[in-house]
Amino acid sequence: MRSSASSAGRDALWGWLLLAPSLLLIGGLVLYPVAYNLWLSLFDKHAFLATQRFVGLEHYRYFLTDAQFWSAVRYGLVYSGATLVLQLALGVLAALLLNETFRGRGLLRGVVLFPYLIPTIVAVILWKWLLNDSYGLVNSLLLGVGAIRVPVGWLGPDHIMTSLIVTSVWQFFPFVVVTYLARLQTIPPELYEASEVDGAGPWRRFVHVTLPQTRQVLVVIVLLRSIWMFTKFDTVWLMAGDGAVSRYVRTLPVYAYSRTFTYLQAGMGAALAVVMFLTLVAATVVYLRILRADEEAAA
Amino acid sequence: MRRGRGGRRALVHYGGAVLLLLLGAFPLFWMLSTSLKPGDEIFATPPTLAPRHPTIENFRQLFRETNFAIYFRNSVVVSFTTVVLTLVVSAAGAYGLTRFRFRGREAVGRLILLTYMFAPIMIIIPFYILMKQVGLVNRHLALVLSYTTFCLPFCLWLLRAFFRAIPLDLEEAALVDGAGRPRAVWYVVLPLALPGIIAAGIFTFILAWNDFLFALVLITSDELKTLPVGVNDLFNATIVDWGMIMAAGVMITIPTVGFFVAVQRYLIQGWGAGGIKG
Repeated sequence: MRSSASSAGRDALWGWLLLAPSLLLIGGLVLYPVAYNLWLSLFDKHAFLATQRFVGLEHYRYFLTDAQFWSAVRYGLVYSGATLVLQLALGVLAALLLNETFRGRGLLRGVVLFPYLIPTIVAVILWKWLLNDSYGLVNSLLLGVGAIRVPVGWLGPDHIMTSLIVTSVWQFFPFVVVTYLARLQTIPPELYEASEVDGAGPWRRFVHVTLPQTRQVLVVIVLLRSIWMFTKFDTVWLMAGDGAVSRYVRTLPVYAYSRTFTYLQAGMGAALAVVMFLTLVAATVVYLRILRADEEAAA
Repeated sequence: MRRGRGGRRALVHYGGAVLLLLLGAFPLFWMLSTSLKPGDEIFATPPTLAPRHPTIENFRQLFRETNFAIYFRNSVVVSFTTVVLTLVVSAAGAYGLTRFRFRGREAVGRLILLTYMFAPIMIIIPFYILMKQVGLVNRHLALVLSYTTFCLPFCLWLLRAFFRAIPLDLEEAALVDGAGRPRAVWYVVLPLALPGIIAAGIFTFILAWNDFLFALVLITSDELKTLPVGVNDLFNATIVDWGMIMAAGVMITIPTVGFFVAVQRYLIQGWGAGGIKG
């Protein structure tokens, strides 16, 4: 009796000891900064100097009438909405294809991941080169087939958002492919065989077997991708930087960055980070609701 | 009838496969092709698909005239240090989570999963101020610590899944045979979890190798910069030398794609169990 109690105590000690480095890092470098960020958002704080002044909820009140804030929200919704829908459509289609049997499938499963594995800086310079107005391959092809008469300024104010969306969809659709494919592979083949006997075509098989089976993973994909696209900084920043066209794609993360490191208003930048954080929490709550409703429906 | 249907199916498969191949690989092929073209051919209209007069001049120029070699070395040092640190910390943590019972174990697991969703932009501001306070700004250690922390949640989840799948009997058999726990872990647990460890290592390497935001904010000296920020500086510095920039792109891509191809089957396994963020 006593020995089992002391062994339980030893177990707990070892468990915590082994977890300690992880908890220390996550606690010290993620959770504490998140809390500190919340605190910081109540201050007027210079990004480099030690000066700070308590202002309460002033930053949040300022956002209510801040045209730049609302334009960032709008651009963010357009960007994350469009990229989400497109990468979902493209990713699911590609996953369905890669779940079929044909020669070269293994190779293709690897190749399709490349855009997701390469650094953002590479994806961006690559697309800037493809979309270059004078020498880019895209304009050259479009001119060649007669789709356009004069070169299009893909990276200019009119089309920068489109170009950013194209680059981002290319970069991130492989995530959808692999995650969706992993789930597709676990669907029992019997389910398809039964529907085959019923004479269902590919579309009906997809709607009646595949879709219900993959509903949960789709919810997870939508949650993660929408959060990560809404908080995406590097692709947006590298595509437009803080140059002249940047104001046509300035989403919340870019706005938070420039408030902090260009205008040196760290407090206001922190408040913007809090807004993004709350969006994440809201999205997660919605996700958990859907999941719970699903489980109840299944029970 | 059957055959006609099968033929159409094959057509859809191969048509789709070709499209997907073009989508995934053609932009990268174009980057490689441009990097091997001499200056006048890069701006030829219409463009040539493959270089007519291939040259490595762009690469030579990249290493001779810019700090690319320094950025490359910095990236290698930071990425490998991050991988080692992350693997040690997360393997220990995952072992603790799967082999010892204690109160709060599940809560810890859930907390870690929550932090998986965080994006760097949400903590970069307080992170920068904290790093400044402890004097780590402009030090590679700041990058290593931030990447390790950001990789930890998914490495822990990944390794936890792998450790869980290893039967306790095997480990206990080794313990009964008189091996101490460290030996049992080293000779029984770690080899069996190797696919997971490799997957976690590659994910971590990719995240550290690719990061832009932490490196942009935390490093200011040119000689300490890592590849993404260094190459972005090259890109913005002057009139863009497309041949050289594409050569830089090729050089940054090679390690990632190389590692990936070498251990692809472990990675796909790991993806199912945990996933990589971005």
